[in-house]
Amino acid sequence: CLLSAGWLPALHLVRHSSKAVTRHWKAMHFQRQKLMAVTEYLPPRPAVPPRCLPPRTDAPKEEDNGYARLLRRQVEEVFRDNRMIAVCQYNSMPDEDLMLMRHYLRKHNIEVKFVLNEIIRPVLSQSKYKNLLPLFVARNILLVSQETKAKEMLRVLKGVPQVNLLGACIDNTILSRQGVENFAKLPSLEASQGQTVGALALLPSQTSSLLQCGPAYLTALLDEHIRQLRAGDTGTPTAEPAPAQSSGAQ
Amino acid sequence: MASKIRVGLRPVKSIMVRFCPFESNVESTRKFLQCINRKKIQATNRNCEVTADVRHDGSEPLVHVMFADGERLIMKGANLTTVEMLTALGSRCNAKELKEEQKGKKNP
Repeated sequence: CLLSAGWLPALHLVRHSSKAVTRHWKAMHFQRQKLMAVTEYLPPRPAVPPRCLPPRTDAPKEEDNGYARLLRRQVEEVFRDNRMIAVCQYNSMPDEDLMLMRHYLRKHNIEVKFVLNEIIRPVLSQSKYKNLLPLFVARNILLVSQETKAKEMLRVLKGVPQVNLLGACIDNTILSRQGVENFAKLPSLEASQGQTVGALALLPSQTSSLLQCGPAYLTALLDEHIRQLRAGDTGTPTAEPAPAQSSGAQ
Repeated sequence: MASKIRVGLRPVKSIMVRFCPFESNVESTRKFLQCINRKKIQATNRNCEVTADVRHDGSEPLVHVMFADGERLIMKGANLTTVEMLTALGSRCNAKELKEEQKGKKNP
């Protein structure tokens, strides 16, 4: 029997309340309450509260993520290989329109690349394109091309209201949107080369006529003089050696 | 957070967003433009024209909203966050829609 002499249970077995597990909340026995109070969990407190200590700087986590490195390498390649890089803001577009836009730009040899700001910002800050840094906020796309077909690009972008041209880097020159529009209005390279050649060739073409101008004038004057002399007095001997001497002196 | 705000653009006629991308205070304005151009918000009013004016003259970022009843809302985004701009626009649009509904109820 449990209640034999010399053995007392730590907790009294209470027999007057019907069950131990009830559906309503039942107060603990007083001794149990005391036991629970004594064995309550006290979290350890540091001697100096942590906010009084100098703030510790965690080691900056270096993202040597292989994928990030690959993307960074691709961005560097893009900036090296292409003459024209246009930065545009991308507001969400329906997929069919995006595909059509990509198709039209492909026809002019312009590629559309989606870029992540966190990848492209460190690449740009270390390269010579530091002034393009403030452009890369919010969602952007890059339109890259080996040729500089600004007019066609602007025409395609005019038909797409959800893509806004912010700026471009053409032949290592950073241009704003206005600059790109002016660049598109310039004549083509062949036309401007032809104009320059024409302007330069204009002066040399006149050299021979310039050099011949003086003697030609003198010859004309002398011919006129001879005609007047012949018309006036016929056969004066002093007139003839004079033109012979001057033409010999040349 | 900015993607959760719903704006009903029915009382709006046009929205013009002007900014200079080479400045440093345009982030919230650009995000505002991005949020407005989302499918759900555009679907509330197909006739609303959203234009982006990209300049390079160092001017402040500006959002100019024209409502259908002639009212205008000008928000200078240099010191505003995207959420503030969206909630301001959203509250005004809701107020106008409520007014129109009440008018419609009064004059059947």
